[in-house]
Amino acid sequence: MSRSERPDADEFDYDRFGDVAAELALALPPVEPSAELKARLMARVAVTPQLPADPVPGAPGADDAARSEIAPVGPLSVGPVPVAAAPSASGQDARADSSAENRARARWFARPAVTLTAAAAAIALFFGGVATANLLAPQDDAAQQLAAIVAAPDVQTAAAPVAEGGSATLVSSASLGLSAMVFEGLPELSDDEAYALWYITDGTPIPAGLFSVGGGDDDGRVVQVLEGAFHAGTIVGVTIEPRTGSATPTTAPIVAIPTEA
Amino acid sequence: MLVAVSTDSEAERDVPASPDVANALLQRVAAGDQRAFSDLYDIIAARMLGLVRHVLKDHSQSEEVVQEVMLEVWQTAARFDPNKGKAVTWMLTMAHRRAIDRVRSAQSSRDRDTKVGIRDLDREFDSVSESVEIRVEHERVEKALSRLTDLQRQAVELAYYGGYSHSEVADMLSVPIGTVKTRLRDGMIRLREEMGVAS
Repeated sequence: MSRSERPDADEFDYDRFGDVAAELALALPPVEPSAELKARLMARVAVTPQLPADPVPGAPGADDAARSEIAPVGPLSVGPVPVAAAPSASGQDARADSSAENRARARWFARPAVTLTAAAAAIALFFGGVATANLLAPQDDAAQQLAAIVAAPDVQTAAAPVAEGGSATLVSSASLGLSAMVFEGLPELSDDEAYALWYITDGTPIPAGLFSVGGGDDDGRVVQVLEGAFHAGTIVGVTIEPRTGSATPTTAPIVAIPTEA
Repeated sequence: MLVAVSTDSEAERDVPASPDVANALLQRVAAGDQRAFSDLYDIIAARMLGLVRHVLKDHSQSEEVVQEVMLEVWQTAARFDPNKGKAVTWMLTMAHRRAIDRVRSAQSSRDRDTKVGIRDLDREFDSVSESVEIRVEHERVEKALSRLTDLQRQAVELAYYGGYSHSEVADMLSVPIGTVKTRLRDGMIRLREEMGVAS
């Protein structure tokens, strides 16, 4: 199973002494990870299918096969669509892998109210992208809240194109009463305009915050946590309003995303 | 409290005192529970990073490793067998293996003091003397380590804490590789007896 069982192994077989090794590990001083680590991780978890209990029951080397199924996750290994990251990328034991993959995928789709499309890619792109460090700095709170929403058991995810260009992904959790919009490629507005978020319930729009897109190198990527309480079944809309905001929308929405009640 | 900066709300992060909590969380993670995963992360991440950074030294690389390991925990949670050990042990074993893999695959960036296995330990422990629980834990391990022969202890410290291979440890201690292997094995067996951990 483990490498070190080979006679020529140059590595100690800690698997046989996991209990002792854990004691040694726990005697070390803990190091608090950065908040961004958890935010990135939770975003990955939200879009990463789980593997079934036992891919090749009783087969020798099952552990090695299991390890090879894990797609490498580097800080920049976002990939076009992380969800579709095929476990069988290594080509090793393709039959078993593809079966495991199908089961994992079936399980993913079996989860309620999760739209697995560009939404997942957009979130992973946001968190995993090269620009993450730059983005998270000024928007740390937004990233944290987004991570909390993504981690919620009842998270809903839905994406839609934006009329003015780009795309919007809504992640929401009724249990947390929170939602956030993740925008990609949103155009910059003139100085006297702002994007306005709306919760629209029973046809009544409630202001949920204003924001703008900075110029420069962020490619129109914005995370906006909506102000006010999110309720399941609400529609989330975005309009372009005067910079000071409006009591009700004065223009047609550039994107509107319904949620499931 | 086992975190360096302790608050009352972090009392629940006492991993060794709550192996059952970690086990229960991991079982919920295996069922796809992302909230449980978030809680599991909260109780293990700082301990895991402490271990990985001790081996790797580089902080950002260590965070990458923790991210990889925790994602692997998420993906393979259903394969954890509670009959074969504790969840905490399972996760820390994975983290230690990954940390060593990273060291091996990037020897060039291995900016490490060759005597780090032994010298840094005491320095790091001293730096956390304000944390009573860790001090107690550390002293328990240190006491157990003191029962080993010098060669056993050095082999364990260099190999496990330092992440060095058998041949590297052999070079550093100027003994044959076969000696390192037997001292390591004997040392781990002796530690198990001294610490009274379930085998």
